[in-house]
Amino acid sequence: MAVIAGRPNRGALLPRRLAAVTDSRVGSLAVYVIRRVLWMIPIVFFVIVITFVLMHSAQGSPWDKAGGRQLSQVVVDNLNKKYGLDKPVFFQFLLYIWNVLHFDFGLSYQYQGKSVVQLIAEGWPYTATIGTLAFALIVPLGIGLGVLAALRQNTRVDYATMGFATFAASFPNFVIGSLMIVLFSVLMYHWTQGAFFLPAGGWGVDSHLIMPAITLALLPIAYTARLTRASTLETLRQDYIRTAWAKGLTERLVVIRHVLKNSLIPVVTTLGPTFAFLITGSVIVETVFSIPGIGRAFVVAVTSRDYPMILGTTVLFSVVIAVANLVVDILYVFIDPRVRLT
Amino acid sequence: MHLGTRVRAVALAAAGVLLMACGTGTSTSSNLAPSDKQVLNVNDGTEPNSYDPTQQTYTYEAGVGREVFETLLKPNAAGTDVQPAAASSFDVSSDGITYTFHLRSNAKWSDGKPVKASDWVYGYKHLLNPALAAGYVDPFFDGTILGADGYGSVDVSSASAIDTFLSGLGLSAPDDNTFVIKLQHPAAYFKWVVTLWVAEPIRQDIVEQAAGGSFPSSDTTKPEMWAQSANTIIGNGPYKISEIVSKDHVTLVPNPNYWGGAPHLQKITEWFIEDANTAYAKYQTGDLDAITVPLANVDVVRGDPVLSKQAKVYPKLTTFWMTFNAQRPPFDNPDVRMAFAKSIDRDALNKQVQHGIQQSILSFIPKGMAGYDTSNDAQKFDPAAAKALLQKAGVTADQLNKFTLLTRNTTRNKTLNQFIVQQWNTNLGLNMQLEVIDSKTVTANIRKGNFSIYGPDGWGADYPDQQDWFDIFFKASCHSLNWGCVDLPGYDDLVKKADGELDQNQRNADYKKAQDQLINSAAVAFIFQDYEYNLIKPYVGGLTITAGDDQSLPGNFFWHDAYITAH
Repeated sequence: MAVIAGRPNRGALLPRRLAAVTDSRVGSLAVYVIRRVLWMIPIVFFVIVITFVLMHSAQGSPWDKAGGRQLSQVVVDNLNKKYGLDKPVFFQFLLYIWNVLHFDFGLSYQYQGKSVVQLIAEGWPYTATIGTLAFALIVPLGIGLGVLAALRQNTRVDYATMGFATFAASFPNFVIGSLMIVLFSVLMYHWTQGAFFLPAGGWGVDSHLIMPAITLALLPIAYTARLTRASTLETLRQDYIRTAWAKGLTERLVVIRHVLKNSLIPVVTTLGPTFAFLITGSVIVETVFSIPGIGRAFVVAVTSRDYPMILGTTVLFSVVIAVANLVVDILYVFIDPRVRLT
Repeated sequence: MHLGTRVRAVALAAAGVLLMACGTGTSTSSNLAPSDKQVLNVNDGTEPNSYDPTQQTYTYEAGVGREVFETLLKPNAAGTDVQPAAASSFDVSSDGITYTFHLRSNAKWSDGKPVKASDWVYGYKHLLNPALAAGYVDPFFDGTILGADGYGSVDVSSASAIDTFLSGLGLSAPDDNTFVIKLQHPAAYFKWVVTLWVAEPIRQDIVEQAAGGSFPSSDTTKPEMWAQSANTIIGNGPYKISEIVSKDHVTLVPNPNYWGGAPHLQKITEWFIEDANTAYAKYQTGDLDAITVPLANVDVVRGDPVLSKQAKVYPKLTTFWMTFNAQRPPFDNPDVRMAFAKSIDRDALNKQVQHGIQQSILSFIPKGMAGYDTSNDAQKFDPAAAKALLQKAGVTADQLNKFTLLTRNTTRNKTLNQFIVQQWNTNLGLNMQLEVIDSKTVTANIRKGNFSIYGPDGWGADYPDQQDWFDIFFKASCHSLNWGCVDLPGYDDLVKKADGELDQNQRNADYKKAQDQLINSAAVAFIFQDYEYNLIKPYVGGLTITAGDDQSLPGNFFWHDAYITAH
């Protein structure tokens, strides 16, 4: 799943004669959004085509076991018939597309009798909750630390902030997650005789969320802070900022009204896909903290060749990413008045 | 030979089992914790793929199924024989063909209705319906139940073909408390087959109600709808499911109508924690009462004054081996295979890679079941003899170096195989390489015979009878687990004779011959028997741990007798 960060190619997608009715800013925005939403249909179609081809060219069948005695051939044949895998691949593809048009994403091979939609509906709320929580940490902390470091460039504050960012970015999150479990669950439990400790995993809308959200947020916080710092430094050197200082404005006004509005554009560009990533789950964080989300379900589906589940989650991820990019594009309009969506 | 008119096969009373029961603490049942504290938290690792027991194939599935449903018989704690479960007794006709199971008249479903013999017939037919393609159905159609050998040739798209097949099976219910199974030919091991977790009674009315009415036998989705919700998973076992939180946990509470009376444990929560380190942390914070210790933490546990006292090591009925592709020269030469088998220092492997938990093994049948026999040490570590064998075979290092050791990409397999390939390189003067690839791709390759050496692969007993083991190396199993497909003259006939043999001593003698053949021809190189290294809280009492327990669920065959002491 690749995420292409950056602004999408604008214009050239709308017939000239329609441009006349899109004069007003709101009108143009509405048409733009509708057009982008319609564009998602071919995008999803191609995602399905590519996933379908890749999935069926990967070796191994959904019924293979990881060691031990394999299912007998008659059982495998009957399973293939049960799930339509005995039909030609192209026919399977057409059938899948036909079913998707009817919002039927099929039954999971792995979880018998469960539909892909049901599995996603079960797992996504967990993933989305932790992802949203992590995002709520990333935006203020990432931007805040970045701006702080830029304003205090080459001071101890800057070094400390960027030191933290480098540290957070260079540790893989399974290391951070495991260390936090040892520290805040196991050792804390021993030190406080079981009076206070964070749960070492599992689900619960309470202290269970703390460690996974922080683990998930650390890398994006670091990344966002570095990006904000660089972009803010660049903005601080612009002529209009010098003018603002010269006018005698307070630091607060200069930063909020003049610097941030311009320095945030690249940050917002990356935050869109970051958000999409966060709410579609991290297999590592979900495994370390035993969260029954769809990040793990996706990887399990791939390793067990659960074709309908692979397709279903991939389609979901592509839609989420497309929507996140669209939201970013719309946000540009409000952040930077020079941007026109046409 | 047990040639009476009828053989009363179930003899062991529950008293025998109680003697085996071992509390892990010093407390007795006199200081039980109050009933709201009678809660057991265990880690099942992964959520069952299905809650329909007939569809379950993995131990983590059986770990739930065994509590919610109860089979006709179950293995006794020592694994030496079967003992009564849902059937209070059974008779075998003198020709070994007809098995009559006497069901308990006071057996009830978790919704209070009586368990009838017709429920058993329906459950067995549900398992044997070819359209539903149950993964563990083989022991029921492969040379056992009368009429079931046609399983593979039924047209699964035709409801009438399926109905004809199912009605022709040797399953009948002469009255509500008698379930009769007729076999194709004598199979002394069949009493073990009915202990498999897939062979359960199922309620037709519940299945059809959940499906919204009756359905043709060729339907593949409707017959599984009842297993989707805790409300419709009605079982005959000691516990029932009160809650399923998908991929997180399943909660079991006592089945108030269970014939065996109320258990001590009022709640068993089976968590689905995949990361063994997370489970280890949760054990230390008191959220889990029993876990399997992750390999990396074994030494930590041993050095910890508290944890080391809570550790329990016990054998699993699982043997691992390395497979040589006997269809590919020079591994078609038994001397070459034996040279590889004799150049693995299994004790060093066990000590250096597995922290001394597992046990080296030079034979097939694991310790803990009939057939375990250490007398044949032909595969014993002996580098000098191994080199001599290679010389005798006229195979040079250059010839062997082009082969690789095919390895599944799990951490455990990688570390084991790094050690093993290093042993071969050192002891045989080779320079072979590992080939680590994605697990599914490995299976696809070995299925096609596209490998030279592959491992470790192994087998864990479904039930402690040797029949469950020796058919692995049948010629016809070449694409199931006998990947190397070694030519074993006379082996199939010998094993089939033993399978049908009613005299247990003669059976054992035949199986012993078959085992010697496997060892002497180095069909595979046996390397170790799996042991379970667990931590169990001292307040969990009344556990009866057996070698057949499902992974990470110590004592789960007898949880009905387990309890929590005051702590």
